[in-house]
Amino acid sequence: MTMPTKAGGADSGPALSLRSGGRATRAYRRSARRAPAGFVALAAIAVAFLVLPVVGLVVRSPWRDLPADLTAPGVLTALRLSLVCSLSAVAISVAVGVPLAWVLARLRFRGRGLVRALVLLPMVLPPVVGGVALLLAFGRNGLIGQWLDRGFGITLPFTTGGAVMAETFVAMPFLIITVEAGLRALGQRYEDAAATLGAGRWTTFRRVTLPLIAPSLGAGVALAWARALGEFGATITFAGNLPGRTQTMPLAVYLALENNLGTAMALSLVMLAISLTVLVALRGHWFHPR
Amino acid sequence: MRRGALILAAAALAFVAVAMITGCGSSSSAGSSSSSSTSAGSAKLTVFAAASLAKVFPQIAADFQKTHAGAQFAFDFAGTDTLTAQIEQGAPADVFAGASTRYGVELSGKGLIDTPQPFATNRLVVIVPAANPAHIASLGDLAKPGVKLVIGDPTVPIGTYTRTVLANLNATLGAGYSAKVLKNVVSNALQVTSVVSSVELGEADVGFVYVTDARSAGDKVHCIALPAVAQATAAYPIAAVKSSSNAGLAQQFVTFVLGADAQALLKQAGFGPPPK
Repeated sequence: MTMPTKAGGADSGPALSLRSGGRATRAYRRSARRAPAGFVALAAIAVAFLVLPVVGLVVRSPWRDLPADLTAPGVLTALRLSLVCSLSAVAISVAVGVPLAWVLARLRFRGRGLVRALVLLPMVLPPVVGGVALLLAFGRNGLIGQWLDRGFGITLPFTTGGAVMAETFVAMPFLIITVEAGLRALGQRYEDAAATLGAGRWTTFRRVTLPLIAPSLGAGVALAWARALGEFGATITFAGNLPGRTQTMPLAVYLALENNLGTAMALSLVMLAISLTVLVALRGHWFHPR
Repeated sequence: MRRGALILAAAALAFVAVAMITGCGSSSSAGSSSSSSTSAGSAKLTVFAAASLAKVFPQIAADFQKTHAGAQFAFDFAGTDTLTAQIEQGAPADVFAGASTRYGVELSGKGLIDTPQPFATNRLVVIVPAANPAHIASLGDLAKPGVKLVIGDPTVPIGTYTRTVLANLNATLGAGYSAKVLKNVVSNALQVTSVVSSVELGEADVGFVYVTDARSAGDKVHCIALPAVAQATAAYPIAAVKSSSNAGLAQQFVTFVLGADAQALLKQAGFGPPPK
């Protein structure tokens, strides 16, 4: 039980009483464990609010028609496309996001705070706004897009590549923030030790840093992947909606909701199963029993 | 060191939640606007209207307020299929105004709205960006390979009408015409306004929209007219929602939309008169 010591701080009463030991410590521990009035009831409301919609989805879903709903041709197309796009988005995020997380955690430079704020912005930006921003930058008449179009004949809107970009845009910040936190928590001791033993910078990163931040990286990958898989707003705005090319699972769910509730619920169940898998995979990272 | 990571992970989760809320909010109510309801006691009408009515309905509402002081309006403009699904799921609407009679019939069949009355018609037109990057001069050019065409999803009225028009065009432009044109579709938009913005931004080479949308886009787009024989006529139904807590006022608004003042505004926006 190290938490109360840390949380108490040096100059607060309870922390001092800890040092005296005995009865005072036990009293402190008891009061720390007793919830403030009403907390348990409020917590129960929070749990009900967050869990009931999922219960509704599971209970109301037409389980008997599930095999038929799930094997409908459009469903598999959307599922396959969603997997391809979200995994590509995660791969890109890891390839450039991990180095960025390292730069933010380890290098001191002017404007670091600004860079961090800017790259984390997509996390709080409404995804539709993200999609509009992507259009204005990478669209056929966008800042960079017009140059890509004229110079290389590459147009991104309405393509699978565009869908991957939209998902990467919203998902990568989650990977960056998680990996950066892991790097900061790790500190530089081990890297310094490796350096004094003669390891090069790349070797140090690969053999020392990377294994030590593996849990953070895993969490970041899972979080980014879940976010990419669920992406809707930026995708429909930037990449449009075409089955097999840009119509990912969330778009298919949204469209099915309006003509075929059964398919919509079946698709939602698949997404739920995937999300649960991510949570289970993360349990080692987030749910330490204390 | 674990705690730091944990707190950041929790913060990240909180961000996920925020992102999802904002994401859902902005996508489901895309294009919706609501007039402020300052006086809580006054009667408020929530109008669920097709996206193609987004420009003209606020004008009609303002006209209505001249004779009904205290009436407050909140609009939800979206694809008619979305509005229909929302009303079926119990969304608190007072008036439904769709872009296809099919949805009016569906809702009244389920006893959710009064008998729908047609209040306007619309026609389709082909639009290209002012710069016309794909050099589209005639309807035949739509079948050229590589043209980027954006049309409505088959689930929304504009998508259904577009496919009808394309099928009709087979008679004059050759049996394989509509199939060739549909191969050029790069996106099925969820509402007609998205088709307009894709063309306005120049991301799409060409799109099928309502005449009224083309008119409000002004000189950012150029129009290519469709032959009368191939046209699909979109009839717009309106009705009060049965569960309305303001049934009287909802009915008055429906009557007003069918009346001369509102009809003049609709005509000015490019809508045709309701079918007799």
